[in-house]
Amino acid sequence: MTDAALSRPAPLPRPGEALLDKLLSGRGIWPAVPAIVVLVVVAVIPFVMLLSLGFSDIEMSRGAIVSQTFSLAHLTGALADPLYWTTFQRSLSLALSTMLICIVFGYPVAYLYLIGGRWTRRLILILTIAPLLTSGIVRTYAWLVILGGRGVVNMTLMQMGLIDRPLRIVNTHWAVLIGMAQIHLPVMILPLIAVMSRQDRRLEEASANLGASRMGTLRHVILPLSAPGIATGAALVFTLSYTTFVVPQLLGGGNYLNAATMIYEQVVYSLEWSKGSVTALILMVTCLMVLVVIALISNHFTRWTKGRDA
Amino acid sequence: MMQARMAAPAEATPAPVLRIGAVHKRFGALTVLDDCSLNVAEGEIVTLLGPSGCGKTTLLRCIAGFWAPDGGSIQIDGRDMGAVPVNRRPVGVVFQSYALFPHLTVAANIGYGLRMRGTPRAEIARRVARALETVSLSGLDARYPAQLSGGQQQRVAIARVLVLEPRVLLLDEPFNALDAKLRGTMQMELRQLIKRLGMTAIFVTHDQEEALTVSDRVAIMNAGRIEQVAPPEEIFDRPATAYVADFIGNSNFWVARAEGGRVALPDGQAVATDLAGPVRVMVRPHNLRLRAGEAGPWRGEVLHHRSIGPLVEYLVRSHTGELRVLAMRLEHARPLREGSAVTLSVLEPDLCSVFPAP
Repeated sequence: MTDAALSRPAPLPRPGEALLDKLLSGRGIWPAVPAIVVLVVVAVIPFVMLLSLGFSDIEMSRGAIVSQTFSLAHLTGALADPLYWTTFQRSLSLALSTMLICIVFGYPVAYLYLIGGRWTRRLILILTIAPLLTSGIVRTYAWLVILGGRGVVNMTLMQMGLIDRPLRIVNTHWAVLIGMAQIHLPVMILPLIAVMSRQDRRLEEASANLGASRMGTLRHVILPLSAPGIATGAALVFTLSYTTFVVPQLLGGGNYLNAATMIYEQVVYSLEWSKGSVTALILMVTCLMVLVVIALISNHFTRWTKGRDA
Repeated sequence: MMQARMAAPAEATPAPVLRIGAVHKRFGALTVLDDCSLNVAEGEIVTLLGPSGCGKTTLLRCIAGFWAPDGGSIQIDGRDMGAVPVNRRPVGVVFQSYALFPHLTVAANIGYGLRMRGTPRAEIARRVARALETVSLSGLDARYPAQLSGGQQQRVAIARVLVLEPRVLLLDEPFNALDAKLRGTMQMELRQLIKRLGMTAIFVTHDQEEALTVSDRVAIMNAGRIEQVAPPEEIFDRPATAYVADFIGNSNFWVARAEGGRVALPDGQAVATDLAGPVRVMVRPHNLRLRAGEAGPWRGEVLHHRSIGPLVEYLVRSHTGELRVLAMRLEHARPLREGSAVTLSVLEPDLCSVFPAP
């Protein structure tokens, strides 16, 4: 009581200031409000619209929706269509193999970063980040030049006398795979480096002191401790590869059908918006399913982090 | 403890387990180790003691093989370690941060070295169980390191190297991460454990008290050199250099002249020395005696006094400078007041040290 009587009341802030203050330093949900607003506007609302398109029969007349009735016809139609199954199978295997290639090629780079000196580290960072500074389309075009009939690869192989005629690489599954792996490699390497450079270097010394060879230390200490990095990188690479549109479109030669190019064709060429939104929905749900599997596997390998507070 | 210390032979053993001969190490222009030599006998505990940056950790890392010395040799059981890689050295390191593998259980941490050596699974389990018992951690084998207290983590780190039965145990400031109260008991416990197992060990520390508690012999390091290696009492009573005298315990220094193989003390007594000309004389505070009044040749004035439990520490100004004097409180039923005139004398002239003047 006396305290309240003694303390001078602070000048009341204007309403705008109060709101700004809450957003910047408030407790609970307040600091997240701007992000939530943006998410609702650019993600949740469009997503609901997409769903409503996919689950309704639409009658159009002169470019305007005349009637919209609920229907599962598009979904059941898509699930019954063998083209959907082959396309999604192709997308899935493409994304999973890209992910595996990125792990196999990315991990040694991250390991080199871990054991390397100052200049090795800088070089690796520059080489990893530099490609991200150019657009994915530019890099994809670069692969067209490299893999093309008169490209670097074919010319070299021919000059070495290994082949007589140029190999057909561009416009095949392999060109798409090579392009995807290269373009998504940095997304694998960066989380790996982030996780691995936080590791205590004494653990490697302790391992060596206890009799482990370099391979032993890599297998039993460094690899298990970098599992969270592998999982993050794998999830990112998978999501990007599974939903990619540019690379298969350009390196696959226009008739390489994966989930994203399928949606593009349905929406842009055949103007079947309902079909397109159902395809997008299937793409999203299957992607989430794979991500859950990755998370479960990763949890299994990082269960030691769970008991920390126990 | 005293008995164990007496029993540990300082020089009488035949061949030392660890022989460090004239080891040099430099980082760029900086000399970190300068002509370090040290022999450690079977079953002996030696501490490398010095301020941070004196090279003690560098020497430890050279013995473990993490770094290669630029010159000199390190031998274990007469075998030169120069070409022996880290993972083949018969050396066990307990790290300051313990460096336990966070993703492995206590049992898997302790069994790690055996697993790397391809020991059969049943034998690993048996030896891990025995090691857990040795460090009294039985029952915690399924825990992860993050679920253990600091003291338990330290014991896991020790058990992890003990199972491999290394010839030399290296401990890098092993008590640093523990709180002060636990530190004292862990120091005693660890010394008893090492003695019971008959292991040869080298501790690295900057903590005098720890060094005096744990070791049979202390090696005082300064600026990359080993200044003196001796049992704790000898380090304290007969420091080899002015640096050691200053580093260990409290000390009083003054400058005097040595003539004819002796230095006269201000109270009329004398100390024998090999030096001649200007010298520095060092006497420990507990080796000085104060009497009230002006009854002798060495007079002074009490500047300050404070009681430390059963002791009183005086700061006295005399013509040799300001001196610290440590007395039993019973000696002066009522402590001498600030400003009172006193007479100083040395109790045991033999325990005064004489060093070349700087």
